[in-house]
Amino acid sequence: MIAKLFFGLIGLAVAPVLGGIIAGLDRRVTARMQSRFGPPLLQPFYDVLKLLGKRPSAVNAWLVLCSYLTLMSSALAVFLFFFQADLLLIFFVMTIGAVFQVMGALSVNSPFSQVGAQRELLQMLAYEPLIIMVFVGIALKTGSFSIENIYALEQPLLFSLPILFLALGVALTIKLRKSPFDISTSHHGHQEIVRGLLTEYTGPQLAMLEIAHWLDVVLILGLCSLFWSTGMIGMLVLLAATYFVEMLVDNISSRLTWQWMLTRVLAPTMVLCLVNILWLYTL
Amino acid sequence: MVEFLVFLCVIFPVLAGGAAFLDRSNALKKRLVTVTGGVLTLASIALALRGGGSIPFSSALAGAMSTPIHVLDLALLCLIAYIGWRRSHRLILTLAAVQLAGMFVLGSYLHPEVAAEAPAFTVDSLSLTLVLVVSIIGSLIAYYAIGYMAEHERHLHLVRTKQPRFFAIILVFLGAMNGLAMADNLSWIYFFWEVTTLCSYLLIAHDDTEIANTNAERALWMNMAGGVAFVLALLWLQSVQGTLSLTALQAMARSGAKEAAFLLPVVALCIAGFTKSAQAPFQSWLCGAMVAPTPVSALLHSSTMVKAGVYLVLRLAPLSLGTTVSTMIAVCGAFTFLVMAALAAGQSNGKKILAYSTISNLGLIIACAGINTPAAIAAGMLLLVFHAISKGLLFLCVGAIEQKIGSRDIEDMRGLFQVMPKTALVTAFGIVSMMLPPFGMLLAKWMALESSVEASAMPVLVVTLALGSALTVLFWGRWAGILIGSLNPRLELAPETQEATMGFAVRSLTIGAAVISFFAPLLYLWLVEPAVQAMFADVSSLSFNGWYGGVGNRYGIFAVYPLYLLIALGFWYAWNETKKHAVSGPELPYMSGVQAAQNGTIGFIGPMKGFVEAKGGNYYLDAFFGEGRLIRPTNYIALALFVMLLGGVLQ
Repeated sequence: MIAKLFFGLIGLAVAPVLGGIIAGLDRRVTARMQSRFGPPLLQPFYDVLKLLGKRPSAVNAWLVLCSYLTLMSSALAVFLFFFQADLLLIFFVMTIGAVFQVMGALSVNSPFSQVGAQRELLQMLAYEPLIIMVFVGIALKTGSFSIENIYALEQPLLFSLPILFLALGVALTIKLRKSPFDISTSHHGHQEIVRGLLTEYTGPQLAMLEIAHWLDVVLILGLCSLFWSTGMIGMLVLLAATYFVEMLVDNISSRLTWQWMLTRVLAPTMVLCLVNILWLYTL
Repeated sequence: MVEFLVFLCVIFPVLAGGAAFLDRSNALKKRLVTVTGGVLTLASIALALRGGGSIPFSSALAGAMSTPIHVLDLALLCLIAYIGWRRSHRLILTLAAVQLAGMFVLGSYLHPEVAAEAPAFTVDSLSLTLVLVVSIIGSLIAYYAIGYMAEHERHLHLVRTKQPRFFAIILVFLGAMNGLAMADNLSWIYFFWEVTTLCSYLLIAHDDTEIANTNAERALWMNMAGGVAFVLALLWLQSVQGTLSLTALQAMARSGAKEAAFLLPVVALCIAGFTKSAQAPFQSWLCGAMVAPTPVSALLHSSTMVKAGVYLVLRLAPLSLGTTVSTMIAVCGAFTFLVMAALAAGQSNGKKILAYSTISNLGLIIACAGINTPAAIAAGMLLLVFHAISKGLLFLCVGAIEQKIGSRDIEDMRGLFQVMPKTALVTAFGIVSMMLPPFGMLLAKWMALESSVEASAMPVLVVTLALGSALTVLFWGRWAGILIGSLNPRLELAPETQEATMGFAVRSLTIGAAVISFFAPLLYLWLVEPAVQAMFADVSSLSFNGWYGGVGNRYGIFAVYPLYLLIALGFWYAWNETKKHAVSGPELPYMSGVQAAQNGTIGFIGPMKGFVEAKGGNYYLDAFFGEGRLIRPTNYIALALFVMLLGGVLQ
């Protein structure tokens, strides 16, 4: 118990640094794919530090409250992950942040932030069922929703849940709002609704959301790592490959509409998840 | 002692209701409602602390009630038949006549003789759960109604007050619900069941408008159809099994008598429960019932009466344990959970969102009853309690909002925080308590999801529960977001006056939602675990273990106290930091142009230097979730599921 608590706290301390470096790497690799040189590796940290030093200016107090709550929920979810808690519980804690981020955006009557929030709700509608399906698949295989039991497995989960891993990849792309699912907001300049969900979050609030986003990246990559729990090297290879594919897809695809996301992505991916679950269920 | 407490819970409110009816001057109303509420609250808590017990038919209370119930049962059906005749509604008349004939056959030819020692009332943990919900939350809503109805009648400019009748029905209803929860004999449950149906009809039609009458008639005929199923089950059980006692039936189920002849009446009773809980395809009556004054919607159509249906299904769960019938009940419930969440996502009428989400949650409870493992039943019971608190609170808030802004459309609640800061915050809190951790609803939903993994129709259930939960977050999240809209960079709550009784009820339920969520593990140990142990012979590995701090089983652990405290601490910190937040001056939202504010509305300077107001609106996704799109397929699929449910009997 003490060891797990210790592990959770260490994870929580390391996660923002790791998340920032991944964001920096992402920007470098993306730049190379676009034949640019790209910013320094630590650029995301410089950005966040600069944002934190900005003069606070928010349309209303809720934006401030909601950015704190979003960061808190992401941090708690990361802590629970390294604490090896219940997977569904981690998922629900993650939802707190997602909901409050949307609530903050909705509390401002700006067309950009309103449309962004509505679209983000649809993104949540698209990734939440997929993540639940993945967790149920894991529970079917290991007999528990607890992360601890996954590490007791002798075979990596990837072999018995390949389709669910794919679904997790789709959910990851939607959750991290990477192309083609950068519908509610985007990290790139090519944004059709200014910055959608994030339009009204400025300065320190935006910095907090950025850190929360890094934590989310770490958490989701952590979830991916569960699929190769048997060896450190295999795990790292799997994570690197997954994130590389994410970046590749992000760069070669263009933004799609939410209708497309619900009908052509969520629906077929749910069916595929069901296929994977059915074969575990009958075996 | 138990007998006296049961008397206080069942008969006392009925007597108080009679007094309220006779009190034409309306002078005693407030006292009657308050005293009854106090008595019910204290009696139900005392009953719960004593741990219940059973009262035989030979007791003075049951003896005194026996003959009146037989007489009143027939009188009630005649009254409903009369309503059908008066309103020239042939369907109601026919359904009432069928039930009358059925009860006549039951009484005259089948002679349901009850042994004097057979239990008339069984007060166990499951019934206590419902009794506590009815007595405490029900009383609070009745108390709220005092202020609400005065304002309601002022608004309607009534010449003669209809409040004596209104409060009489409400009080009688509370007694009937408690009777329904504790009665052991199915024919008694049936009596109380029909009393609640009649109360519901009378209260929906209370405002006596054309739409109110039409919707009340629909509610009446649908519930009467359920009543016919109930009567058929009574006839079958009496003539084939020879008993109407739930205790006896449970003993039979334990000894392994689960052939088709035993399951058929169980299915009929479940269908009666489905109609009461407005499960698909019966959802239309509950949506129509929203025309009633809001306290009625809160009391009958979300917190208590519709819970009678799921209560019956939970109560009957052991009778179908391990059968195809049970699996099909789970599928029916899960289907309703998903479709009603989708329908709620397509609505902008606040009360309709609440109605659809109520049906959806009741579907989840039924799915839990159908999964039929100790863990799932526990989840269902917790859902019943926490849903009653949070949804009651939300209805009361919407009632207060509607009286102030004159609309129940959530688009009109944009920026409500600037008009009614406290009410907007409490409503947002109620919404959050419906869908996010660490609150009880989410704990129960977590338990339901975890227990669905071991269900027999697992793949179907998991897909529907996953999609349904995501839809729930969609329609709650956007409502909460637009409620708190404001232009104030400081965290300040402007003063807001509220009528005393309404304010008291809203405050109590708010505190209740927060505090009872925290003590969910204690609630689990105290009420849920004993109930589950009484229902299942074997509660070994599949059940959750309650302990002081959380609940968990081999599937997972939800440590309520640490999580609650961490989140509360985080919220407290965020709130304080927000209060301290340095404000550099009022800011206007980004408009991609010259933003401007005029008379409190925000917009931008458009062509010809004119001010253009910025207007927002939610996505209601009519092409996906509109009623026109979903209702017809829903009804067909639900009917097909009913056929499969009946087919399950033959398995």
